[in-house]
Amino acid sequence: MAKKKLKLPEAGQWPDKLVIPALAVGAVLTTAGFLMAFLYAAPVNGAALDSPKLVGDVMVTHQQLLSQKIFYFHMPVAIVSFIALVFAAYYGIRFLMTREQRFDTCSRVAMEITLLFVIFTMVTGDLWTRFEWGVWWTWEPRLTTYLILMLIVIAYFVLRNAVDDPERRATYASVVSIIALVDVPICFMITRLIPSSIHPVITREGGMAPDMAMTVVIVLVGMLLVAFALYRLRFRQARLDERMQALKDQLED
Amino acid sequence: MARPSTLSHFATLLRKDLRQEFRTREMLTSMGIYALLVIIVYGAALALTARGIDIANMGGGLLWVLIVFTSLLGLGRSFAHEKEQGCMEGIMLVPLDRSVIFLAKAVSNILFILVVEVIAVPLFYFFFMTGQPVAPTLPAIIAPLLVGTIGMAGIGTILSTITMNTRSKDVLLAVLFIPLIYPLLYACVTATTAAITGTELWTDLFVMPLVLACGYDVVMLLVCWVLYDFVVSA
Repeated sequence: MAKKKLKLPEAGQWPDKLVIPALAVGAVLTTAGFLMAFLYAAPVNGAALDSPKLVGDVMVTHQQLLSQKIFYFHMPVAIVSFIALVFAAYYGIRFLMTREQRFDTCSRVAMEITLLFVIFTMVTGDLWTRFEWGVWWTWEPRLTTYLILMLIVIAYFVLRNAVDDPERRATYASVVSIIALVDVPICFMITRLIPSSIHPVITREGGMAPDMAMTVVIVLVGMLLVAFALYRLRFRQARLDERMQALKDQLED
Repeated sequence: MARPSTLSHFATLLRKDLRQEFRTREMLTSMGIYALLVIIVYGAALALTARGIDIANMGGGLLWVLIVFTSLLGLGRSFAHEKEQGCMEGIMLVPLDRSVIFLAKAVSNILFILVVEVIAVPLFYFFFMTGQPVAPTLPAIIAPLLVGTIGMAGIGTILSTITMNTRSKDVLLAVLFIPLIYPLLYACVTATTAAITGTELWTDLFVMPLVLACGYDVVMLLVCWVLYDFVVSA
């Protein structure tokens, strides 16, 4: 039985043609989402900005109603970070199955995108913590699990730097990326498992009004496109770098 | 001659680890002394406040800090002599299922950590908690200790196999180990504290974290068990 030829991702394949459109559309959508968050989406539960209002059981000031706009970016970038991590682990599994260095490059680049979006999430999340909850940090379950997710992603790169042999480095990195994936469902489910947490859960708060949902979806799609474009650009750069190294090595021999 | 069974592979590897430890007593002495030193550091840290605060509420957390750092020390050593004496190459030459190496190593790590806990927990009690009335639920801390030890040894075994071949192994082991056991640690500390304080509603704070910790153990051990083959062959 002939072995099926493995299709390897390479710089310059068809997804690269989508990079410029994806980046442009992503930029337009995220900008549109930014404007919509302030101009289109009404404050929560139709509250007016001129006076404090009771939302749920909590008296909410207009500063909190405005800082609630952080949500329109915080949730989409968090979701994108999870998706990027899923891709990193997927390419990690592909590497372990095929032993093809190319997939390790993919996994590494996806992990870099994960780190970027994890940092975005931490920054927007910390603004939220400060202005909605009045503290810079609290050991709340979702925050804690997300913080350790960030630490695992950082540890992934520390590990990569500490191994010299490429084959071994790729194997270890793939294994860690797969283990890191275990934290994603935990981070996602923790606010449901521990109901006392103050982290908002949308379904628990009665779902989103259509104008809010619309804004979130637009920002989410925009961020996904930006993440995709960044991934492809970085992947192309990494591949060209690898090819140049290979050429250099050939010349030296 | 019949091919030896997986079980006998496992038993042989485990016996090798235990015999080596029994002869050198390297790990248990260093871990035991380290645990005692951590307790002494606690003594300095709590010197001025130990009588003023309710130590029962902090006891669970302090105990787990002690266990985590002591295990970290032991796990870092667990593959060191395999590598120094070239034992790993010998094991890899044997045609056995690689996951058996994981199971044997994890079980020996569990045993070492348990032995250290058997020494450290009474010491901790002796130094810090004798001034307090004992809650009748105190023996229940055995459950979170056991669940936590199994999970830490499992995750630690695969991570120490990974870090064995890297530069700056001990630091890297800590960098990877602490975030990955964090969910387990959080759940075990909650359950342990619930058992130590033993308030009226202690079961609420005890059962749920314990179930979550067991779930994390099962998932992590399965993932590590599957991935171990790749790690050890690399």
